[in-house]
Amino acid sequence: MAIGVKVVKRPEREVSYLRATLQGMALTFSHLFRRKVTMEYPEEKSTPEWTISPRWRGTHRMLTDEQGRAKCVACGLCPQICPANCIKLVPGEDEEGHRYPLIYEIDEFRCIFCGYCQEVCPEEAIHVGVHYENSEFERGRFVYDLERLCAQTHPVSTLWDPSDPKGE
Amino acid sequence: MSEKPLVSLTIEGVEVSVPQGTLLIEAAKQAGVVIPHYCYHPGLPVAGVCRMCLVEIEGMPKLQIACATQVAQGQVVKVMSEQALAARRSVLEFLLINHPLDCPICDQAGECELQDYVFQEGRPRTRYTPAYPKRFSPVEDFGGDVLYVPNRCILCTRCVRFMDHVAQDSILNVSERGDRAYIGIHPGRKLDHPWAGNVVDLCPVGSLLSKDFLHKARAWELDKTASICTGCSQGCNVNLDTRHNAVVRIRPRPNLEVNQYFICDYGRFNYRWMNRGDRIEAPLVKDREGLAATDWDTALERAAQILKGADGKAVALVSPKVSTEALFLARRLLGRFEWSGYFRLERVDGEIPLPGVPNLALRSERAPNGTGARLLGYGEDTEGAVPALRQAAVVLVLDDPLDWLSADSLSEVENLIYLGTVLPPAARGARVVLPIANVAEEDGTFVNRDGRVQRYFQAKPAPGMARPAWWVLGQLMEETGAGEAVLSAAQAFELLAAAEPAFSGLSYERLGLKGALINAPERVEVSR
Repeated sequence: MAIGVKVVKRPEREVSYLRATLQGMALTFSHLFRRKVTMEYPEEKSTPEWTISPRWRGTHRMLTDEQGRAKCVACGLCPQICPANCIKLVPGEDEEGHRYPLIYEIDEFRCIFCGYCQEVCPEEAIHVGVHYENSEFERGRFVYDLERLCAQTHPVSTLWDPSDPKGE
Repeated sequence: MSEKPLVSLTIEGVEVSVPQGTLLIEAAKQAGVVIPHYCYHPGLPVAGVCRMCLVEIEGMPKLQIACATQVAQGQVVKVMSEQALAARRSVLEFLLINHPLDCPICDQAGECELQDYVFQEGRPRTRYTPAYPKRFSPVEDFGGDVLYVPNRCILCTRCVRFMDHVAQDSILNVSERGDRAYIGIHPGRKLDHPWAGNVVDLCPVGSLLSKDFLHKARAWELDKTASICTGCSQGCNVNLDTRHNAVVRIRPRPNLEVNQYFICDYGRFNYRWMNRGDRIEAPLVKDREGLAATDWDTALERAAQILKGADGKAVALVSPKVSTEALFLARRLLGRFEWSGYFRLERVDGEIPLPGVPNLALRSERAPNGTGARLLGYGEDTEGAVPALRQAAVVLVLDDPLDWLSADSLSEVENLIYLGTVLPPAARGARVVLPIANVAEEDGTFVNRDGRVQRYFQAKPAPGMARPAWWVLGQLMEETGAGEAVLSAAQAFELLAAAEPAFSGLSYERLGLKGALINAPERVEVSR
């Protein structure tokens, strides 16, 4: 059974792609003269238009006292508050009778970066950091131990804007 | 009980009737109102020094301390009135002048009454300038298990009164006066009384600390399970505090009929064995090369074969630390045989009483369920056990370490079935080894020396494939046709209550958390 085939003639001006190509090129060239919105990461990490927020919550940092010891007193509030259960803490006592963490580990893979640990810390020891470059060659390296947390140097998060604590 | 006339009074709008002579603070508990207090403790004489329990009583010109005021007919007591609250807030403010802000490192945090009441009704801020240097005194070692942190002390004198009136070894006092006062210890003495650990529990703040528990866990991480102390035949009620499935401390659980509010230090530190790591974790059956791990079905079937194939005499060697249910089911399992059962009890010369509490001591019989074993027909005749073993067709061991038997007395035993938590060398000759749960890992009951049946509860999971002894014995009963499988500890106790007149009428529900006496106390051979 023959099928009725209707042959439609294509309009002349659409047969050639030249017109559309030139239109596209024109658009591309016009962008050369517009304001640049990209940044040459990683050579360039912030621009006057874009800087990382001081309230950014990134990988952790443990602050230290003047002697270089962690400020942490192993009170156990951060593992308690942590919704992701990513902090491991074993308390101990040093020679002077001070309570300190024997083991303090944060699993950064498990962490959801809520910042509760920083908020709950009575000693202002553990902080989330203003930091986002965390690549490693091994998964195991993402469990940060106390030494690693103390050695971090990136700025710490302010969590909220001091002039506008309620975020209004 | 002496019949005192009842007195009706109103506390915070709730009307209660209590016997004459009751203290207001106790009457308030019945009205559902906890009046904040530090120095008052029901197990100690009233001191009235902390002034925390001030309440307003209508018709009285000044506030009264609820811990030293007796109830009177028609009294109207206001605990939360403006005046009472203001007074208590002031007391808290005084207490906090020198109290350090070290809750993050204080072991008491989370179960601290100062913390609780300050949160409840205290002032939010100090009126002292930040420049005010708080009084500081170094931590003092009181000896024994106790550390004293003077900075945190609120001078409630509970510890002093415990040592004076309950332990009756007056070695603590309040030294100095006024704001220099602190708890002093008799020079040259140590706080090493065998019951001294109770001062740590009594301390409402973190001033007296247990060295054993120091920095081990935070209060809010602990799960508390009602249990019975396994240290001696006294059967003190305790709470097992567990963290990450390990028992980290034992604290007394009030039971006025047994131990009131106290436990001895021996019982307090007798928990490490509950966490031991060398437990049997899988059923073992003997093949040509020795004991090999297998599954429960195989092991139970093998044990049932042994039991069914044997005839004549059977001997059960049981530990007086296993539950009454397990003792009973072991006996029922061997009911088909000519049966005899033995247990060995560790005895220590002399008892260590707590003088202030009648009928409370660390007993010489250092096992919790000797009475239960005797009631169920097990004999303490360890001499008689050796010849009985020689003639036995089957020997069933229930968690006995077997270290009191000479090596050759078991070597002739052909059919040895060992139910235990750990595998002692002497049990390596067993044909079947079945792993069972220990006291922290199962529900059960013990019978104490006064014939009080008391329940204990499961505090942590058993390691590996270990199961409660009542379950294992119930399965064996089903396999050998001696009875039906037991599905719960409560059901095991029902079977026991149905079979034993001493336990008839008792059930887990009736025992509750305080226990109940068996029916025929005169049957209990009490060894004193």
